[in-house]
Amino acid sequence: MLVIALCKGRFLEPSLAALEKAGIRFPEDVATSRKLIFETEDKRFRAILVKPVDVATYVEYGAADVGIAGRDVIMESRADLLQPLDLNFGQVKIAIAGPKGSSSIDGSDHPTVRVATKYPRITLDYYNARGIPVEIIPLSGSIELAPLIGLADRIVDLVETGRTLKENGLEVVEVIAESTARLLVNRAGYQTKRDEVLQLITSLEKVVQCGSST
Amino acid sequence: MKAYTQIPPGTQILIGRAAQHRRALERTICSVFEGWSYEEIIPPIFDYYDVFVKGMGTGPEEQIYRFIDREGNILALRPEFTSLVAKTVATRLAAAAKPIRLFYSGEVLRFEKPKGGRQREFSQVGIEHYGGESKTADVETLLIAVEVFEKIGIKGFQINLGSVDFFGGVVDRMELPESQIAELKEVLNVKDQPGLESLLSKLSLADRRKKILRAIPHLTGGKNVIQEARELVRNPRSVEALNHLEEIYMIFERLDLAQHLTIDLGEIRGFDYYTGILFRAYVRDMGFEVASGGRYDGLPGQFGEDLPAVGFSFSLDRLQQIVAPNLKSIGAESPAVKVDNGFEKALELRRSGKAVKLCL
Repeated sequence: MLVIALCKGRFLEPSLAALEKAGIRFPEDVATSRKLIFETEDKRFRAILVKPVDVATYVEYGAADVGIAGRDVIMESRADLLQPLDLNFGQVKIAIAGPKGSSSIDGSDHPTVRVATKYPRITLDYYNARGIPVEIIPLSGSIELAPLIGLADRIVDLVETGRTLKENGLEVVEVIAESTARLLVNRAGYQTKRDEVLQLITSLEKVVQCGSST
Repeated sequence: MKAYTQIPPGTQILIGRAAQHRRALERTICSVFEGWSYEEIIPPIFDYYDVFVKGMGTGPEEQIYRFIDREGNILALRPEFTSLVAKTVATRLAAAAKPIRLFYSGEVLRFEKPKGGRQREFSQVGIEHYGGESKTADVETLLIAVEVFEKIGIKGFQINLGSVDFFGGVVDRMELPESQIAELKEVLNVKDQPGLESLLSKLSLADRRKKILRAIPHLTGGKNVIQEARELVRNPRSVEALNHLEEIYMIFERLDLAQHLTIDLGEIRGFDYYTGILFRAYVRDMGFEVASGGRYDGLPGQFGEDLPAVGFSFSLDRLQQIVAPNLKSIGAESPAVKVDNGFEKALELRRSGKAVKLCL
């Protein structure tokens, strides 16, 4: 049996849709049920529902053989796993934003730029690579608030349409990376459950190709 | 000041059955090594920092526990055994008859995130084979790894075999700057197809070369992989690597062990010192590798003696998690005799070879 870790939340529906097109159907209504574990009728696949940030952990430790999560999650977790496939949904940008009119990624009024974010590692790596002293202010939500009330000079967050930023008087200063949903595979599972894993990759690959051609 | 009750992160304490299992596992594995005529080497727990940097390269240096002695020398707690053994072989054993076969067992220390049952202080057992003909030495090493799995009762294991020379031969021809080779390795290491595509679009390479790089993540499986790879490359270094892997694979087929071997030409991770084959072993129900090894011909030369070298190490901490349920019988040979009537009786029983437990 292959264990698949799926994100609760906005990724769940497109993940289930992709799996269904690949022939993996869960008889129960995964999206509305309160259960966290689901199995296909033939018992070949088991889905577990976890928080997006935890998907990489489940897969890295082998508690799940494969998983579907955004690239942002993988970059932030630095988990050691295989990421063979872009599933082409959940497009967002990981971006640095600041108050409207900000032209640089460092707020030059301060010797150290203060950045509020849910992505402390991505942020630190990005600023370190550019030699800019940075103070990370870790927040877990309402990141846009931080520059408005003087808690931070910049934020690093996911930007989908940019509407939330705009409504809060912020704008993107620089895009760190593009992120989409990725298929993650545990390194050991790739070797010890090779046929099952390769079959899943191949059928999802076909789903992605069909999706992009229509 | 931390409370004295706190355990420093990355350390652990083994007592009771955990300690018994650990020693039983260690003895079983070491007896396999002895069975193949390997002799034990017990190196020091610390050495000069430079010894390890010579061995492991500069990549993992931030993981090394360093300290300064009273004369100002920089020392390091051993983060692995291979560099220490190479130093000894190249110096003290320089005149010894070849091949030299050595095994070790002990703790190593790395400042890294504890993962998969492996702490910052963890236990390795492994072998080093110096100065032998490369094909026979590679096969011998792999066969010993297989026997270890058999002796400790693990059935579903896979040895993932690659070669740094296949990828090396491919990139040699491309004349790319170091930074781009590093980027290529990074995306290939995680089989990141989209990442590879976006990198390839930035590189000005002939289509034939791009085709090889695109194929690398998929060049994994049985003997057919070697055939597929042959159709892609012509450079002598890669071709030689394929010949070598094929010979090993055929010997494993003849010995009826090929089902445990997976060829993986996308397997290019590891310390800088690897020069030929490279392998990692995986076990069902364990998300992390339990053993890794390969060939490092350049390493003894770093210490003044050019010798071919190959070896591997097993992670005892990870193996123990998998095999502990099968080790129930250990330590139950003959229960101790309870002695409640004096030291004389206890001594008498001990002299006759019985286990005793004083209840005076």
